[in-house]
Amino acid sequence: MSVHISTRKALPRRAVLKQAGIALGLPMLDAMLPAFGASEPASPKRFVGVSLRLGLHNPYLVPKDKGNSYTPSPYLKSVQDIRDKFTVISGTSHPGVKGGHTAEASIFSACPMGRGSNSKNTISLDQHMAKYMGDETRFPSLVLSTSSHRSPSYSESGAMIPAIDDPKKLFTALFANDSPDAKKRQRDIASGGKSIMDIVRSETKALERQVGPGDRDKLDEWFTSVRELELRLEANEAWIDKPKPKAGKEPKSPDRNNAPDVMRAFLDTVFLSLQTDSTRFVTLHCPDTSVRALEGVDESYHSLSHHGQSGEKLDQLAIVEQATIDRWGDFLRKLQGANLIDDTMVILTSNLGNASSHDNRNMPVLFGGGGYKHGQHLGFSNTNNYPLPNLYLSMLQNLGMEAEKFATSTGTMMGLV
Amino acid sequence: MRFLFFFSALAACLHANIRQDVEVFLEQHCYDCHDDIDNEGELNLLDLKFDPENPKNRAHWEDVFQRVEAGEMPPKKKKRPNGEAIAGFLKKLEAPLIEAGRRELSKMGRVHARRLTAREYENSLHDLLGIDIPLSGELTADADEGFTTNAETQQISHFHLDNYLRVSAQALDEAFTRALEGDKQFHREYLAKDITNYGGGNNRGPQLWKGKAISWHSQMQFAGRITKTRVPDHGWYRITIHDLDAINPRSDGYLWGTLQTGSGYSNEPLLYPLGIVEATQQSKTKILEGWMQKDHMLVFKPNEANLKNLPSKGGSFSFEGRNFEKMGFAGFRFEKITIERIYPVGDQKKVRFHLFADFDLEETKTIPGPALSKLIRSFASRAFRRPVTRQQIAPYEQIATEHLKSGDSFPKALRSAYHAILCSPKFLTFVEKPGVLDDHAIAARLSFLLWKTLPDKQLRKVANQGRLREPEVLRGQIERLLAHERSSRFIEDFTDQWLDLRDIDATQLDPQRFRDFDLPLQHSLKAETQGFVAELIAENRPVIHLLKSDTGFLNTRLRDHYKLKGIKLTAGEGLQRVRLTPAQRSGLLTQASILKVTADGSVTSPILRGVWVNERILGRHIPPPPESVPAIEPDIRGAVSIRDQLAKHTESTSCASCHDKIDPSGFALESYDPIGQYRIAYGNKKNSAKVDPSGVTPDGIRFKTFDSWREIYLKRPEILARTFAKQVLSYGVGGILEFSDRPHLEEIVAEASKKEYGIKSIIQAALSSEIFLNK
Repeated sequence: MSVHISTRKALPRRAVLKQAGIALGLPMLDAMLPAFGASEPASPKRFVGVSLRLGLHNPYLVPKDKGNSYTPSPYLKSVQDIRDKFTVISGTSHPGVKGGHTAEASIFSACPMGRGSNSKNTISLDQHMAKYMGDETRFPSLVLSTSSHRSPSYSESGAMIPAIDDPKKLFTALFANDSPDAKKRQRDIASGGKSIMDIVRSETKALERQVGPGDRDKLDEWFTSVRELELRLEANEAWIDKPKPKAGKEPKSPDRNNAPDVMRAFLDTVFLSLQTDSTRFVTLHCPDTSVRALEGVDESYHSLSHHGQSGEKLDQLAIVEQATIDRWGDFLRKLQGANLIDDTMVILTSNLGNASSHDNRNMPVLFGGGGYKHGQHLGFSNTNNYPLPNLYLSMLQNLGMEAEKFATSTGTMMGLV
Repeated sequence: MRFLFFFSALAACLHANIRQDVEVFLEQHCYDCHDDIDNEGELNLLDLKFDPENPKNRAHWEDVFQRVEAGEMPPKKKKRPNGEAIAGFLKKLEAPLIEAGRRELSKMGRVHARRLTAREYENSLHDLLGIDIPLSGELTADADEGFTTNAETQQISHFHLDNYLRVSAQALDEAFTRALEGDKQFHREYLAKDITNYGGGNNRGPQLWKGKAISWHSQMQFAGRITKTRVPDHGWYRITIHDLDAINPRSDGYLWGTLQTGSGYSNEPLLYPLGIVEATQQSKTKILEGWMQKDHMLVFKPNEANLKNLPSKGGSFSFEGRNFEKMGFAGFRFEKITIERIYPVGDQKKVRFHLFADFDLEETKTIPGPALSKLIRSFASRAFRRPVTRQQIAPYEQIATEHLKSGDSFPKALRSAYHAILCSPKFLTFVEKPGVLDDHAIAARLSFLLWKTLPDKQLRKVANQGRLREPEVLRGQIERLLAHERSSRFIEDFTDQWLDLRDIDATQLDPQRFRDFDLPLQHSLKAETQGFVAELIAENRPVIHLLKSDTGFLNTRLRDHYKLKGIKLTAGEGLQRVRLTPAQRSGLLTQASILKVTADGSVTSPILRGVWVNERILGRHIPPPPESVPAIEPDIRGAVSIRDQLAKHTESTSCASCHDKIDPSGFALESYDPIGQYRIAYGNKKNSAKVDPSGVTPDGIRFKTFDSWREIYLKRPEILARTFAKQVLSYGVGGILEFSDRPHLEEIVAEASKKEYGIKSIIQAALSSEIFLNK
């Protein structure tokens, strides 16, 4: 157990480099070191957010009694060997977030964005972390989905960050070294890109003067994007010639008709990415893909989630959800085996607390790792939910960030120790 | 300033009067539920001011107007006001709401910085550079719900910009390499003896039999692969299968199969479709064209459900002189295959002209300046869809000049300028000023709507002359664009989104339940609907044909699927226009494509289909359940059919008020299963629940079957016309239509009614309307 008082109120080195206009070789200044420490913490903190489109059936998930001595619920029986590595949290949700499936966009942003055409999301937890602390790894963050480009990760301007949905592509991006030709192309893009972005910036500015007020707002987002891309191009440039880490064998490719196995394939690669410190902030979204290959399941995942209390449907749903939790448990065990668990916060959650009725309250939350004293059922009121963004704030502080608020948080998570 | 102040003060004063005018109606019919105490649906009318200049407030009143107009409010169980009272109430609200909405639109514009969609981007780059490599798949995907053109759903982040930067570099690499190094040639003939019975590895390819090659039917992985046909480069290829005939076809004399491409390795099992092939007993040469990846090979075989698999041992076929024809297996027999590299957008000369026009590259080595500025200017004006000044291209010239100074070649310098142009918001977004659009903006809208690409020379010429607002000129251009072969891109993209055809493969069918579904059928579904919609437009058929028509498009595979035995088709000719008996299967809603995208792959849902029909065909927006409605957990224990489940669910009145509107059309379509086959029961067991396609429309008309449901709306062509116009406009301008567009929409509908609501006439009227011609 480590105590985290240190707040990383440090000036990003690159920001200084940029302002100084010096390409390389600036000595480390004192101001760039984290507060309270003479050097970087030996093991960096990480975050992995796994989100499910269709929730988890709360009666099978949530233990009946609260506290440290809770009796395992049916779903949690299989993860009792790592009982002291996670907390099961019930009775929480994102204040003001409604809309059933559409609330998926707010899983990690906790933004009550509504659903009009003018609704707009805010930055998601992982991207917030990556923005301030993502500059030390090759990939500031990984945004993943078991299927499709949709993700619950959002940029500061409220744009969805497209997800990587192919585990093979992900593995290649992380661990396959580029050919000399590809590296040259990347260098060309990085250097050419910067002067192009200069032009785009001044053109956007000129355009803003020509168009109406509605377009101007949109062009402002262009403006922000140009600035962020410039930073990224510069950061990427430094990584082009550094060899990628070796990760050993590529994880087994998944059975596409077995949703929990697809999740497993991604988590296997996520584990490698953390182990090699290729990234520290990851989201993995799991939409309702095929579950046909699971023994005993013959209906679609989505139709099972609308079980309407039918016993037959619930039995099948439980097969899918149990497998999902088991794969999540396997991931925690792997982290534990590699001594990464106390530095890695892993959450499994969903925007739906009850998929059968599209209810966004009482979100399912399993929270593991990160050096907390777990092993408890932290139960809040089912009828008057406790704000889940408080957990997000706690996570930011666990990273060492000096944050006082995230989205609609009212403080740090009560009862989390 | 002072005028404005005076104006808004006056407006506020007038609006106060309106609030008083409608007070009696509100008090008698609304406050019961919508007051400060009950606040039902989070609507408190008692305290709601009438302030249409405020967009949020206006939206509330527009909603009130529409719910009352549709007869949904006051609800049926309450005392209903008489027609006169309703008309009076609506009349008082309508004009000020429309006027305020129009003021807002003229100030802000409807569509804000709409971006090119992935397809528009790809087509534009192909046109600008003369290249043909696929690019849209490399881009961040567009929204997968609603129209991809909708500016409100388009987002921009550094991920998107980074994407544009890289993909345009890739496109320019291709163009400059081709222009400077020439096109790659590839032309090869594969005789039967070359591609059969080869030694080594697993033999899953064709058999050599009497001098010909035979690909046998088998569902074994990679069966039908022709290893020798690996291609040396990524590219478009024309594949000719010479003298193809079918061995042991179905009794009607045809056999369907697939031509696919892939690596052929088991760790890369994915196969990419190149086309479907229909063979008959008469030999015929088939030509297909498609994109192939480097080192991929052809995989060609019969591929129908329920055909016998050729026997295999340890992953190999063992031919050894066995006569499989006699044993009754189905196969494709052919003489030889040729593969040749093609460049569908244009050859090297064309690429060169797009990049360098007529300039001699030797000369540019000594005097680069004039060529550089001329080329950059012409490229920029095409990319930006409007003439550009010398001053506007200065930054691009500068970037190129810097490259020259640092010793780079002329092409390399030019390439850097083109790269910057392709990342400009002037290329990537639609630059439009609020109010009336100028000719160049109209030309761009027209071209991106009907051709999905930049305006061509002729359209640019008319725009330069400033004549696009002349009704006859505009009409002529719409006609020209629609008649051109490129309008097939509009049909494809628009139906992909309006009718959700893009989701045709999204649901994974339960293979146990739908044994007859195979690849040839899957590929035919989309083609049927696209062919149908294209025909309705080209022939300007009345809009009611969307529901019921004597025209259809079928191939033998679809005809079998629909069990339409009586329809005459020429086997081997693929999709054909046919005359249908309209009372049977005809019109969009009985096409298997639509019936499949509105189901989930295992069961149908009257709700999903009902919402779909309401929104896409009948133009009735179905709001999601109000957020204040407490989530009601459906309890479906003991229910048998879907209809019973739903009946249980809607026993609750708060659910019923919407489901009255949603469910009827969904019920009518229950006669069709998730892959569009007609059914009378759910399942084929004795005790399977019977399908009940009857219902009552929201305005109280009873129907017994899908056909009688359809008859009700055939009498209301204006509803179908209005919806179609709305869909085309929303897609074409890239934004949703507003309440204040109502009068324009009614003008479009009235105009089209003069031509029997012909579908092309609706498009003509829509694109000539103020909605299309204003930002």
